Amino acid sequence: MTEITPSTEIRDLRPFLDCAMEIGEQMLICGAEVHRVEDSIRRICYAVGAVRVDVFTITSSMLLTAKGPDGKLYTQTRRVISLETDFHKLDRLNRLSRRICSESMTAEQIREEIDAIGRIRHYPFWGECLAYLMIASSFAFFFGGVWQQAIAAGVIAVILRFVVALSDRLIQNAIFSKFLCSFVLTALTFGSVRLGLAPRADEIIIGCIMLLIPGIGFTNAMRDIFTGDSIAGVLRCLEAVLCALAIAGGYYLFVFLAGGGAI
Amino acid sequence: MTLSELFQILVASVGSIGFAILFNIRGRRLVSVAVGGALCWLLFLLLNRGIKNETVCFFLVAMLVSLYDELMARVLKSPTTVFLLPSLVPLVPGASLYYTMVGAVSKNQADFFARAVNTVELAGALAIGIIASTVIVRVINSVIHFVRERRAKKA
Repeated sequence: MTEITPSTEIRDLRPFLDCAMEIGEQMLICGAEVHRVEDSIRRICYAVGAVRVDVFTITSSMLLTAKGPDGKLYTQTRRVISLETDFHKLDRLNRLSRRICSESMTAEQIREEIDAIGRIRHYPFWGECLAYLMIASSFAFFFGGVWQQAIAAGVIAVILRFVVALSDRLIQNAIFSKFLCSFVLTALTFGSVRLGLAPRADEIIIGCIMLLIPGIGFTNAMRDIFTGDSIAGVLRCLEAVLCALAIAGGYYLFVFLAGGGAI
Repeated sequence: MTLSELFQILVASVGSIGFAILFNIRGRRLVSVAVGGALCWLLFLLLNRGIKNETVCFFLVAMLVSLYDELMARVLKSPTTVFLLPSLVPLVPGASLYYTMVGAVSKNQADFFARAVNTVELAGALAIGIIASTVIVRVINSVIHFVRERRAKKA
């Protein structure tokens, strides 16, 4: 165990800055705004004794340069590839970063905490299926559907969860996944309407589309733009628009293939 | 308040809970998100009686619910983002987006254009509402900070 030394004495900042970067990266992946990520990293670095900290983050990349009290420079970059919203983790990471700033922890302690947070489990697969069902059915009702449509939307949503799982495993591309989901949900909806299981397609599709709309990207984009992180904000906005276009594309493709006859 | 309006509020809340589960929100935070979703639609129905403009209503509701989220974030000591999206989800213009797509496919240009403008208006109202609440919270924060510093100097 390395003993915590007062920040007036010179100690090796490397492990601490590495932890700070790890926390920041995980926060970004879990769905934090860029401002929060940069702010957390900066605060942690100053708390462990850096004299100057420059951190720059966009949605897909992070850059940190910190200067230790001995004048040594430390730089690290991280490439963030995929985002997976998990607010429970984000909450814990946020609390950890506050703890690091308020009390002195050793690098090993911080590392242990990060590992513990990394082991936090998501809701199980069936729980997510249930959430998909809840969302699609309730919004089918919400936008004026009848109960047959709500049931159809719920069943299609559960199938969509499987489609998402499949495309995550095979293709790992968020935009294409939205496109595929949109195509499948349109096909299933028109199929069920054709079979006479539900009266109209509209509300079923709307209920399911609520699942695909890039809400988190859009919300964070607005907050990023406002806090002055315009590059990250614009990137997120662009991603949200691309997602919306992919959803429209999937719908369009099915209608095109069906020759308009299915409607 | 009619029965069907109450039912709308209920399903809005259930939808919010669904998103909260997808984002792995647990415990007391889940409850506050459920309340946020219901509050969203309750406020919309109430405001829409006086203000007939849907876009203005969306803006006001987005702002008020974001303020509620900011408050909950401070009470439960979590980042605001955690509450923001799931509780605002009933305001996401899914129906407008869908009818825009239908308009695009049906090649009815006038209809498509009107729907597209409507979608952008509603999404814009939502965005400006979120930003407005952030501004309000910042102003309040800096006032509190200012007052505290003045007191600390006097003491």
